[in-house]
Amino acid sequence: MLLKITLVLFLFYIFFQLLYILYPLYAVSKKQKATRLNQEKGITVIIPAYNEEKIILNCLEGIVNLQYHNYEIIFVNDGSNDNTLAILKKHLDLRPTFQKLPAVKIPHQEIKDIYHSELFPKIYLIDKVNGGKADALNTGTEYAAKEIVVTLDADSILDPNALNAINTTFADKDIIAAGGMVQIKQGFLGSILKPKPTFKLKGIIRYQIVQYMTAFYLHKLTQAKLNSIIVIAGAFGAFRKQALFDVNGYRKTVGEDMDITLKMHRLIKTNKNYRNSKLAFIPHAICYTECPESFSELYKQRIRWQKAFVDCVFYFKKSFFRQLGFRLSFFFIFESLLLGTLNVFPIMLIPIALIINSNHYMVAVALFSVTIFLSIYQSIVTIIVGERFGIIYSNKHLKKLIVFIPFETITYRLMGLLFVITGTFMYFRNKDSWHVSKRVGNSQHSIPIEVRQDKHAI
Amino acid sequence: MIRKHLFNIIFTVIFLGLFSLIINLYYDDVSRALYENEIFPADKGFDILACQNWRNEMRQFHVSDEDKAKQVTVLMYHRVIEEDQIDDIHLETSGDLVSTVMLKSEFDMQMQLLKNEGFTTLTLKELEAFIEGKIDVPKHSIVLTFDDGFKDNAVEVAPILREHGFTGVSFVITGVVNLYDAKYEPGKYQYLSVEDIQNTCDVFEFESHTYNFHKRMDDHTPYLIGKPDELVRKDLETSIINLDGNTQAFASPYGAFDENNIQLFQKLGFNMAFTVVPETVRPGTDIYQIPRKEVYPHETIIDFKEKIGLQDGDT
Repeated sequence: MLLKITLVLFLFYIFFQLLYILYPLYAVSKKQKATRLNQEKGITVIIPAYNEEKIILNCLEGIVNLQYHNYEIIFVNDGSNDNTLAILKKHLDLRPTFQKLPAVKIPHQEIKDIYHSELFPKIYLIDKVNGGKADALNTGTEYAAKEIVVTLDADSILDPNALNAINTTFADKDIIAAGGMVQIKQGFLGSILKPKPTFKLKGIIRYQIVQYMTAFYLHKLTQAKLNSIIVIAGAFGAFRKQALFDVNGYRKTVGEDMDITLKMHRLIKTNKNYRNSKLAFIPHAICYTECPESFSELYKQRIRWQKAFVDCVFYFKKSFFRQLGFRLSFFFIFESLLLGTLNVFPIMLIPIALIINSNHYMVAVALFSVTIFLSIYQSIVTIIVGERFGIIYSNKHLKKLIVFIPFETITYRLMGLLFVITGTFMYFRNKDSWHVSKRVGNSQHSIPIEVRQDKHAI
Repeated sequence: MIRKHLFNIIFTVIFLGLFSLIINLYYDDVSRALYENEIFPADKGFDILACQNWRNEMRQFHVSDEDKAKQVTVLMYHRVIEEDQIDDIHLETSGDLVSTVMLKSEFDMQMQLLKNEGFTTLTLKELEAFIEGKIDVPKHSIVLTFDDGFKDNAVEVAPILREHGFTGVSFVITGVVNLYDAKYEPGKYQYLSVEDIQNTCDVFEFESHTYNFHKRMDDHTPYLIGKPDELVRKDLETSIINLDGNTQAFASPYGAFDENNIQLFQKLGFNMAFTVVPETVRPGTDIYQIPRKEVYPHETIIDFKEKIGLQDGDT
């Protein structure tokens, strides 16, 4: 019986893997080029910051190079107790302003001050009492002047054309939310204007590069086609401001990004005005984010993600199917929950079961071989699709990448199992003691960029 | 369209080719694992008709009146296990062997005795003809039967029978026969595989011991008596299908049957049916109630001699 359940789940797994391998291959035709529209919609970029003194200036590198005009940036200092505020004040020449007014639609923690940059007129900063990332995003949304809200992590750098791609996508009025492409910053060399992909990196970073590219170029692309995006990454997402208001903003949880994504789906299914609305994935809207470089940092991050996921399972458990629609629920329950979380536990039991009863060891070998085969093929498709999106590795780096792939599937990927298991256990152990996740600055090596551009450029 | 996707199509074809190769490689192992503990398919046969032909040829025994048998003993065994492979499963709580388990050494000794005494093992056709008075058989004739179809019959019994030039009858519960062969594990209730049956069909005649009715109801009534006649008929018919249509003989589980059952045996075309009444067989014995003597593990060779009629010289 157990064997049958395992095999049925495995068939689901194969189904999803085939989907992820074949759909992007045919959907992404050769040489994808982003289209640019002349008409620019207004975009507000909200950057929540809590104790980000080490990296807060990184994101300015992207901002100063944006090839877009109709936008504003709102930093939200969420009661940092380090020098975040001071650093920003100094570099941006921030002055108190009374011109920014809230929409008064979503409650949030008290505002201390609102600043406007003398140096870059498009940059604002809201200094508020600490309330967590969700609260900071709600505050930003409240004060956003533009139609589209982009949420960006403080350690993420926007590609110069990122907002143009968002603008193009949101020209379709049915799009209410979209996820951007998050690339690993360490995976690129050179200036933001001409980033060159590199693979001469530590294994743990290589692992994350392949994982991010697969997750975005294959999984999110496919999910978007089926209108089943499970999570718009918190690092870089875009929303219609009205939709954010209509779902009462972000919920205070570790996984506010998955939460807001599911709420968008629920809005589509339950609010008549949004009947035809959709979520999208925008492969050309790129941001570069620093990834953890040590096992313990990665561990902390992934545990947080897994806790966030489990939290959403419980929070939305009554909404599946009826309020979230069949396809999204199917993806969420079968792929993410059953295969991603629940199935991991039996997988860990397989070696133990084999020691006790060696009769079916060939079945375990079979499952293992198929898994490895599909993983490797998926990674190959990732490289092909990535190339079509312009991530072109030089031959030398490509060789490294190709050698790394089979190695990765049987080493780093198994680490993922550990994260899922511990994260799930830890969710249940200290479910009620969330604390705001502290950012761990790991980018001392990246030199704070010189903000000495002509202020009219922005 | 084709041009545009040429690369993709080639890529897909290679991918699917490799994928089906892998699936193919493991298909057998997985279906075998899935099949485990499943009942043998009701519509499949063991495919042994051809190699069972020998049992249809009736020998002509030229025996003088003095040497011909007045009665024939049918012996009944279940399992035969090597001494050092005896496990808890083969023992009573008292530590004695379960009555259905015979030590291989004992069994070997018994067969050796039969050989030394010049015994002939009869086929069921020959036994049938003897009962019907159609043929004479030698005084030292015997029929060896093995119930349930345990795998040890193929592993331990068949080589011994072959060595002595003997044949036996295996009454198999056809539903528990394994579609896939597995390693011999004497410590388990392990039944014959189709492969075992095919490999030993030169020494065993395979006959029906029901398909899946070797069971008792909650009140311990055997299925053959307790279950509706219609279901019993279906079960026996299935066992006949598994046995490639062979209806030479039937043995009731626990030796339990009633008048309705006997009519059913007749209707289904069984030539003969066996009980577990410990008596000898004579010409004129009820062909649907042929007695058999069970051989028990605690018995001595003297008991055995008595059982096969060697003691009183009145075989």
